[in-house]
Amino acid sequence: MSLKSYSRARAVHVMLVYTGGCNGCDIEIVNCILSPKYDAEQYKVFLTWNPREADVLVVTGPVTKHVEEPLKAIYEAIPEPKAVVAAGACATMGGVYKNIHGDIPSEEIAGPVEEIIPVAAKIPGCAVRPEDVLSGVVAALPLLLNAK
Amino acid sequence: MDNNNKVTTQVIETEVPMGTIHSAALEPYRLRLFVEDEIVRDAELTIGVNHRGIERIMEGLPVEKANSLTEKICGICSNSHIWNSCLTAEKGLEIDIPPRAEYIRIIMGELERLHSHLLYLAHGSEVLGHETFSMRLFYIRETVMELLRMIGGNRVQYGASIIGGVRPRCELDEMRIQKLTEGMDYLEEKIGEFADRFVRDPMVISRISGIGAITKADARRLATTGPTLRATGIEVDLRRDMEQYEPFEFDVITQDTGDIKANLLMRVLEIPESIKIIRQAIKDLPEGKITNRSWEMQDTDIIRSYIEVPRGKLYHSYKIEDGRVRNSIVRTPSITNINTMEFACIGTHITDAQLAVVQCDPCFTCTDRAVQIVDHPLKKIKTV
Repeated sequence: MSLKSYSRARAVHVMLVYTGGCNGCDIEIVNCILSPKYDAEQYKVFLTWNPREADVLVVTGPVTKHVEEPLKAIYEAIPEPKAVVAAGACATMGGVYKNIHGDIPSEEIAGPVEEIIPVAAKIPGCAVRPEDVLSGVVAALPLLLNAK
Repeated sequence: MDNNNKVTTQVIETEVPMGTIHSAALEPYRLRLFVEDEIVRDAELTIGVNHRGIERIMEGLPVEKANSLTEKICGICSNSHIWNSCLTAEKGLEIDIPPRAEYIRIIMGELERLHSHLLYLAHGSEVLGHETFSMRLFYIRETVMELLRMIGGNRVQYGASIIGGVRPRCELDEMRIQKLTEGMDYLEEKIGEFADRFVRDPMVISRISGIGAITKADARRLATTGPTLRATGIEVDLRRDMEQYEPFEFDVITQDTGDIKANLLMRVLEIPESIKIIRQAIKDLPEGKITNRSWEMQDTDIIRSYIEVPRGKLYHSYKIEDGRVRNSIVRTPSITNINTMEFACIGTHITDAQLAVVQCDPCFTCTDRAVQIVDHPLKKIKTV
């Protein structure tokens, strides 16, 4: 076991990136990691806003064209091995903004997250439930821990 | 000799950018602070990252679908959007809403105000550096979230209102009323404890009093709305004028100073008022059906509707053609408050600037739609 995987097994840092959703998923994820009821910090899962110390990237929202390039840059900045979790209906399939429209479809949406960066786990729900967020992050962990 | 008199002070002016993704901000926005030494001289707040074009994709949707799409504008005040959007349709089509449905809508609206204010307080405490307060408030907030999940079936985006009433899922039976009552008792006790702790903490009070103050005149000029306006001492609450709120007794809370302390206290003191309204609604809950399904679709002119939401005044308008929505406009309270946020930053220390933005309760998912903000903070702004 290398030093990195040793340290990683003891503390997983989650970075939350918000790409233009409605805020619902965002608050639920912060709630799930910070708030005393769900408290993922007791399982050594920490929230960070620095891509260089992150292990798991949680993306919410349908990725508007403005954040397409920044999202790629953030993904590149995270050191290997890394895993991306797409949280919520918007991140997994574009949500209402991409799929429901009247006369004109929305021209602002660059598509679901998997069209921009590779996704390891998807969490369904609008908005995601904190229980699902925990299981989604846990599902992405083997990718990190088994990497060399 | 002359040289001695020529002492020139060199002012170093720097620009401090924050964002778009920043740890102190839950949402993406870009804040540019123009700083002289440590004091902020000018601020510029740019949004546009999460512009999704909701009004444009609403164009031509069936009214029912468009109503549920408005809910996805915001994940904090989702009920307000769908409520006001349904009210707009009901106003235009002249649909009578059963009184029981009105009461359930008000209960949902007030629960939403509770969770929004608690989130504001938790976020504010985190930004000012008191994580213990933040954790306590998040814990109290869970009570409200569970009640919302019980009634609407989802913690966020509960979609209670439909045209003509509320969804059958949101019917309040005896078990739910019992749980609501217990929840309100718990919440009142806990928020009382928190308020007591909050005003007695000398560290927190010295950190927030007198910072980011907005005077009455400035608030009027900047067209501030909602609790941020009431924190400056102007008693304006649209709930007083809404016919839905007529049977309820509640006080409109105001503060005097308009600084961060007044804003935080404002939200703390509004929570018991919301609890009061929910208790009255539970006590006098009328019997009867919750949905009026006898209505017909027809073409209308442009319909306008205003309601008071946790952040201020919300405006929806559209017209109906062949059962489809046309010319839709949504104006959310955070749009009007952006100028106040920029104005509140000016004159503060750089460490307090973020707090001065947060004191206005920003919600940029609401705000980022078809409107581009070009107004300078000191320019006169027209109130719509």
